[in-house]
Amino acid sequence: MLENLALGFSACFSPGNLAGLLFGTFVGVVVGILPGLGPMVGMVVLLPFTFALHPDVALSLLLGVFCGGYFGGGIPAVLMRTPGVPSSLVTSFDGFPLTQRGEAQTALSAALLGSFAGGVISVFILVFLAPVLSHVAASFGPPEYFAAAMFGVFLVVLAFRHRLWQGLLLLGLGFWISTVGIDGVTLSPRFNFGTYAMQNGLDLVPVCLGLFGIGQTLILVERRILKTGTMNLSRSTLDFSKLLVVLRYWKTMLRSGMIGTFVGLLPGTGSILASFMSYDVARRFSKNPNEFGTGTPEGCLASEAGNNAVPAGAMIPLLTLGIPGDALSAVLLGVFTINGIYPGPLLLVKEPLLINTLYWSIFFINIAAFLMLAIWLRPFAMIVKVPSSLLAVIIMVMSIVGIYAVNTRLFDAAVAIAMGVLGYILLRLKWPIVNLVMGVVLGDIVENRLRQTLSLSEGNLSILFTRPITLGILVLTALIVVLTLVSDHRKKTRGVVLKSS
Amino acid sequence: MNNEKGAASRVHDLVGALFGFFAAVMLATIRWQIDTSGPDPFYKGPSIFPILVLSLMLLASIPAIWRLFRPPSSAAWYLDGGGMPVKPAIVAALLVIYIAGLVYVGLAAASWLFMFVCLWVVGQRTPVKLLGVPTLMTSVLHLLFVNVLDVFFATPVLFEFFME
Repeated sequence: MLENLALGFSACFSPGNLAGLLFGTFVGVVVGILPGLGPMVGMVVLLPFTFALHPDVALSLLLGVFCGGYFGGGIPAVLMRTPGVPSSLVTSFDGFPLTQRGEAQTALSAALLGSFAGGVISVFILVFLAPVLSHVAASFGPPEYFAAAMFGVFLVVLAFRHRLWQGLLLLGLGFWISTVGIDGVTLSPRFNFGTYAMQNGLDLVPVCLGLFGIGQTLILVERRILKTGTMNLSRSTLDFSKLLVVLRYWKTMLRSGMIGTFVGLLPGTGSILASFMSYDVARRFSKNPNEFGTGTPEGCLASEAGNNAVPAGAMIPLLTLGIPGDALSAVLLGVFTINGIYPGPLLLVKEPLLINTLYWSIFFINIAAFLMLAIWLRPFAMIVKVPSSLLAVIIMVMSIVGIYAVNTRLFDAAVAIAMGVLGYILLRLKWPIVNLVMGVVLGDIVENRLRQTLSLSEGNLSILFTRPITLGILVLTALIVVLTLVSDHRKKTRGVVLKSS
Repeated sequence: MNNEKGAASRVHDLVGALFGFFAAVMLATIRWQIDTSGPDPFYKGPSIFPILVLSLMLLASIPAIWRLFRPPSSAAWYLDGGGMPVKPAIVAALLVIYIAGLVYVGLAAASWLFMFVCLWVVGQRTPVKLLGVPTLMTSVLHLLFVNVLDVFFATPVLFEFFME
C-alpha cells in the first residue's frame, strides 16, 4: 500500500496532472464563488475537454472543480449572505453576522480552514476505508450489486421525500432514458423511434450538460444581477493571524470532517445534509451553543468542514462499487467509463497507480484551493460582480461546442438543448433534478443486475433474501426508511403539540 | 407565503400529468418500440425493465393527474412570481438556430452571431460587451477546438454553395 502511495505521489506531480489539478481548482473556485453556477456547471462544461486527456489528468481536473467549488461557495455566503453553492447557506448563518460586525476576516479564516480540514480528513478516511469496502465488495455477485444499487435508489428517493411523487417521476424518467438505444444483452433497439441517431442511446454527458449546464444558464438569463454593496474586505489577502484564533476549534473541525465524509458516502444525501448535520452537532457539543446563528467562527468552520468532506466521501462508493454517491460523482463515473475503466471492487487492484494518484490529487487540490483563496481573496471575491447573464451566454456557447466535440455529432448538442429546456422547467419548479441524473446513472446498473439476478434464480426474486449480504443491505435499507419516517412523524407531532400549546 | 403557493401550484400537476401521459403512451406502444422476439423467458428480455420504470412513472403521476382534474379549492396557476419565461424561450430558440448555424455558416460565424444576438436579448448592450465579448470568445473557441483539440467541423453548407 505504501509503495503504491509513493508511486501515486510522484505521478500526482507529473506536469500534466499538476496543471489539470491547478486549473480545475481555479475553475472550481470561480464557479463556486458565482452564485447560481456551482461545481456541477463547471464540471459539465469542462467534461468534453477531458476526453483528449489521460484519465488521471482528466479526473484531477474535474476533482479540482468538484472540491474547489465547495471552497469557493463559502466566500459569497460570508460576505453577502448569498451562498455560492447551496450547502454554503449554513455558513452564512454565522459568517454574515461576523462580516456585519467587521470580522469578515475571522469568518473567512474559519470557512477556509474548515473547508481545508474537511477535505484533508475525508481523504484520510477514503484512503483507509476504500480498500476495506473494496475487499467486501469483491465477493459481490449480481444480486448483491442489485441490492446495493436499490439501496442507493431508496436513499435518493428518501432524501427528497418532501417531493416524493415528483422525485419518483424523475427517477423513472432517468431510468427510461438509460434504456434508450441498443440493448447491450439482446442487441434489440429500444425507443429509437426509427432513427439511427438514437440507436447509440442518450449519453450521460449531453444529458448532464443539458440539465445542469444549459438549464442553469437559462435560469441565469432571467435573473437579476447580485447586489454586491455589502461586500466588505479589510485587505486583499486572508489575515493569517486569524487562523490561530480559529484553530482552537480543532475538535469541531475533526468531528465535522468525519460527519461530512460519512454523509457523502451515502448515495443521494449530498452536501446540504452534511453541512446541516455538522452545524447541528457542533452546536450541541459547543461550550457556547447560544452564539450559533449570531456570528461564531465555530459555526462557519463546522458547516464548511462538513460540506467539503463530501467529495472524497462520495468517491468511496464510486471507486469500490461503481455506484456514484451524487450527481457530481456520476460525472466522474462518466470519465472512468469513457476511458475504459470500470469502477468496482477490482479497480483498486487493477489500477493502483491511478487510484493513489487520485488520493494525492484530492489532497493537493485542498491545499491549492486554500492557498489560492487565501492569497487572492479580494480578486476572487470580485468575480461576483461579473454580470450573470453575460456568463450564461459564454457558458452556453462553450457547452454546445464542447458537447459536439466529444463525438463530433450535432445530435448530442440537440440532446443537450432539449435536456436544458427540461432542466430549466424542473429548476423553476424546484423538482429534485438529482433524481433524474441518478436514474440515468443507476438505470444501467439496476437493469443489468436485475436481469442477471432473475436469470440466476430462474425468475425468483426471493434469492435476495437467501444471501447474507443482500439480506443485510435490504434490512439496512428498510431500517433507514423506517427510522426516517418515524423521525419525520415525531417532528410533525412535536410541531402540532407546540402549535396547540 | 410565496413558497407555499408555489409548492401547491397547478403547474406542478400539469407537468406531472404530462410525464404520466408520456409514460402511458410509451407503455401502450412498447411492442412497436422494442423488439420483443428476444430471449425466452420474458425476464431475460429487453422489455422487462422499461415496463417496470414506465409503470413507476405512470403510478407516480396519478396524484398529479387527480389534482389536475379535481383541483382543491385553493389551487392556482401561480408558481413563483417569475412570470412567463420569455427570455429563456428566446435564448433556447437561438440555441436551436445556433446548431443549424454550425452546419450552414460554420463555427466562427455562427458563434459570433449567436453571442451578439443573445447578449442583445439578455440586455448586455454596451458596445464593448456586444462586440468585444463575441469576438474574443469566437477567437478562443476557434483556437481551442480547431487548433488545439483538432475537432472536425464540416465545411459550411453556404460556403460549399458559393464555392460551386
